Amino acid sequence: MKLTIDHVGKTYADGTEALRGIQVTAGTGEIVAILGGSGCGKTTLLRLVAGLDQASNGDIRLDDQAISGTHPAVSAVFQEPRLLPWLSVGDNIGFGGQRLTAPERARRVEALLERIGLAGYGKRWPRDLSGGQQQRVAIARALIGHPGILLLDEPFSALDPFTRATQHGLVLDLWRELRPTILMVTHDVDEAVFLADRIVIMKPRPGRVHEEMAVDPPRPRDRLAPAFDLMKRRVMRAIDRSLTEERPRDGTAQGQFSPWV
Amino acid sequence: MRPRFSPTALAGLIVPVALAIGWEAVVQAGLASGRLLPPPSRLFLSAAALVRSGEMQTHVLATLTRVLIGFAIGSGLGTLFGMATGASGVARRLLDPSIQGLRAIPSLAWVPIFILWLGIFETSKIALIAMGVFFPVYLGMLTAIQSVDRKLIEVGRVFGLTSTGIAFRITWPAVMPVWIASLRSGLGLGFMFLVAAELMGASEGLGYLLVDGQQMGRADTIVVAMIVFALLGKAADSVLVLLSLPLLRWQDTVRARM
Ligand SMILES: Nc1ncnc2c1ncn2[C@@H]1O[C@H](COP(=O)(O)OP(=O)(O)O)[C@@H](O)[C@H]1O
Ligand SMILES: [Mg+2]
Repeated sequence: MKLTIDHVGKTYADGTEALRGIQVTAGTGEIVAILGGSGCGKTTLLRLVAGLDQASNGDIRLDDQAISGTHPAVSAVFQEPRLLPWLSVGDNIGFGGQRLTAPERARRVEALLERIGLAGYGKRWPRDLSGGQQQRVAIARALIGHPGILLLDEPFSALDPFTRATQHGLVLDLWRELRPTILMVTHDVDEAVFLADRIVIMKPRPGRVHEEMAVDPPRPRDRLAPAFDLMKRRVMRAIDRSLTEERPRDGTAQGQFSPWV
Repeated sequence: MRPRFSPTALAGLIVPVALAIGWEAVVQAGLASGRLLPPPSRLFLSAAALVRSGEMQTHVLATLTRVLIGFAIGSGLGTLFGMATGASGVARRLLDPSIQGLRAIPSLAWVPIFILWLGIFETSKIALIAMGVFFPVYLGMLTAIQSVDRKLIEVGRVFGLTSTGIAFRITWPAVMPVWIASLRSGLGLGFMFLVAAELMGASEGLGYLLVDGQQMGRADTIVVAMIVFALLGKAADSVLVLLSLPLLRWQDTVRARM
């Protein structure tokens, strides 16, 4: 499923202009990473695509069909796991498959539990799981309905580097299997270069697209390969450009925008 | 994880048991008459007499019926009004100020008007109990609904729940712990108002036993009635907790709060 974000802007009720003229597309099965520092409007953008907020202007289209509000083909993993504490781990995963028949849902829950390394945890409570395990459950919940579009809002930022690398592998495995179009948001260059086909660099106040670049290193990517490092350096140079080309008018320290803090 | 029974929990029994035995010994030795504070043996005899004559059962039944009906009405209305004002801003702006205003009246101040309106029999008693139960349940429900995590509601929206679906599958389970806690404090208040209601004149019920004991100068009857009140209150609360336990299994703190 193709996602088009066409000239989208968002001004909040309090007058904050969070996004202006955002143009991003993600082709079917593509992984697009939006890279930007805190306050760039990354979460705002994903909330618009998820239908949790309304864009002030512009269109969001799925396969050229404009959508407003939530959509059955669009699924999301939030910045926090957001599991429902009164449902078992298995039922939390099943919650993402509202439209499935009960037996099909049960079958997929079992399969996904296995895939995320939590076989046998289906009847436990979310509180029994670690943060990384909870985030994997959230990923499984987002994928059980085989969404056309998967939105990821920095789902790994709270994890330690070891856990994070494992989650990256898991997401790529599941992506290879189900081929959702993924729009992910991150402030981690390494994560973007490892996962994405394309990187969109944003700059803040209001949130705009600064630059877009394709990620060349072929999959499966090797974090230790020179090509990977080279790509990372190109992205960092682009970020530097985004910081220097336009200085903040209000004179606040520019380090505040540094995308890797 | 069920907490194991620990012998140190028995430590709390040492003082009351020692006092009871001590007082019994003092009275048996003839050092005190025990007229104003009857020793355990005399309490036991009066309780046995009340049970044998069937009086105790009549009073307990009357009292329990009142408190249960009053609790059902008060908690039902409290829940409904709390849901309405919690879920709808219009209902909240319309109703909450009035309800808060009524709450400012000390509840026992209602007794005369209830008697005037509803007579001195069952209806006014049940109304008083229901009112005692209403306010904590109403407030609990209102604040619980308002404090449901918006982030969990969004999970429901993303995965395609309708607003009815969200109400039943997210809001309701999320408010459940606070609702049950408010039912428990409502039940406690219900017992308090029950005593007030029965003291204002009743021909049966444990409160009647209290008044009767006072008029006949029978401290033993009074103390027995007080103890039975305590037992009933505790039993009712435990029943409520047991009924709610399956609904709250997901909570860490359930057992800690028992
Ligand atoms: N509900 C809201 N109301 C008003 N301003 C908001 C709201 N949510 C976010 N913002 C503002 O919009 C900007 C972008 O926020 P956000 O999308 O959360 O950025 P990011 O996810 O990139 O850190 C920030 O300046 C933030 O303060
Ligand atoms: Mg964010």
